Amino acid sequence: MKRNLSIAIAAVLLLSTWACSKNIPVDGDGLLITTRRECSVSSFELLGTDFVSVRVGAAVIDTVAQTVTCTVQFGTDLRNLYPQFSLAQDCTLNPKITGLTDFSDLAHPRQWTVISGDRQIKKTYTVTLTVQPR
Amino acid sequence: MRNIFLAIAGLALFAASCKKSDYALPTPSTKLQNQAIKRTLGPNIVGQVIEFAYAGAILKGKLTSFQADANIAGAAGTYMENQSYYTAQTGADVGVPVGDLSVTKATNTMVTFNVDTNAATLRYYYVIPEEARGKTVTITFTAKSADGESVSTVMGPYTVAKMDMKLNMKLTDNNAMYISIGDSTVYNATDAAAHAGSIDLVYLYRNLTTSAFGHALVSPAADPMYLPGVTLPTGVNRSTKELKAFNLQDHNLAPTEQYGGIFIDDIDLQTIDLSKSPNYAINLKADAGVWCQTADGKYNAYIFFNSVGTGTATVSMKRYKLK
Repeated sequence: MKRNLSIAIAAVLLLSTWACSKNIPVDGDGLLITTRRECSVSSFELLGTDFVSVRVGAAVIDTVAQTVTCTVQFGTDLRNLYPQFSLAQDCTLNPKITGLTDFSDLAHPRQWTVISGDRQIKKTYTVTLTVQPR
Repeated sequence: MRNIFLAIAGLALFAASCKKSDYALPTPSTKLQNQAIKRTLGPNIVGQVIEFAYAGAILKGKLTSFQADANIAGAAGTYMENQSYYTAQTGADVGVPVGDLSVTKATNTMVTFNVDTNAATLRYYYVIPEEARGKTVTITFTAKSADGESVSTVMGPYTVAKMDMKLNMKLTDNNAMYISIGDSTVYNATDAAAHAGSIDLVYLYRNLTTSAFGHALVSPAADPMYLPGVTLPTGVNRSTKELKAFNLQDHNLAPTEQYGGIFIDDIDLQTIDLSKSPNYAINLKADAGVWCQTADGKYNAYIFFNSVGTGTATVSMKRYKLK
């Protein structure tokens, strides 16, 4: 009797382990690694500390040259901006944007790397800001 | 034998769990009863009112008085309504006079009933005095009935904020445009020269075709490109750190607006980090706000734009003394 019970418990445990071990690849952030190879920025937004856009017109995104060019309003506090990227499906961005970002060194534009859904293609975008004259 | 005992115990437990007890209507107390609620929300700020509704009732007999005792005497204007309110079908509060006008002596405010009633709800308005700043306030409400019975309820303690507030300061470009956070005052150029050491911000309005400048609060020490056409009075040269906000519609600063329950409290003004903020804020609109820190680090403030016109603005400010 006891032997049968042990066998039954072992079988259930084995089955449950097998049921949980799905072969789905995820990256270090727990995001799904897919087969998509698109790797681009589709839109770009820049918010001030008041969460209001500081852009003057739309940002110009060149996916070939891998650049984002954006004019910001006169008086924008360049040290405290929230950049927002929209990426092709399943892409990730490196470094991650975790809060306010300093764009004040206009001579050295900030760069972000877009990584494709399959994590095999990496494209580094340069974000160049221009301040609108008064 | 042991198994039989366990089975019987289990059955007994099962039977007990299914037994329903009959519901009995609660018997109302014949004693004098009371209850109070605090009607105001948000931080308790010196000069503002904390409103309570205090109810008392007795099954038989009549009420003779309601009173409120504060641990710190309320400022002028502290009183208790002598009307008991009920809500009409329209939703409006309708007052029924039940007593004489309240009498306030030091920490005590009392209404003596002059009608025969066994239940009433009176409102008590405690105006927070300067003495209470940074301290706690406790109110003890007491109801008395004709048979000599009395009952009390203690409300609080409520912490009174250290910050203070200045509402509806009128700003005018090229006139009343020099703001002193320390003085909570707006000066014109002549007066600003006399208070040069305390001018923290300059209000200006520029309708430029080349950029969105609009309404601005700029430190006197900011880059002159943010002060176009402004000649500062002699000695006005402080640099105030500023952080723009929008839609942070503090309910105290805009009491007439139907804004949500957003309140800026001491903790917000204590902890706001302005160390990396610039010393100017331009392109401000109605409902915009600016967090500020004075050059000497003495004050943190939040200035809210209640309304704007062409070259004019009405602003309200919450200010916290850091040191």
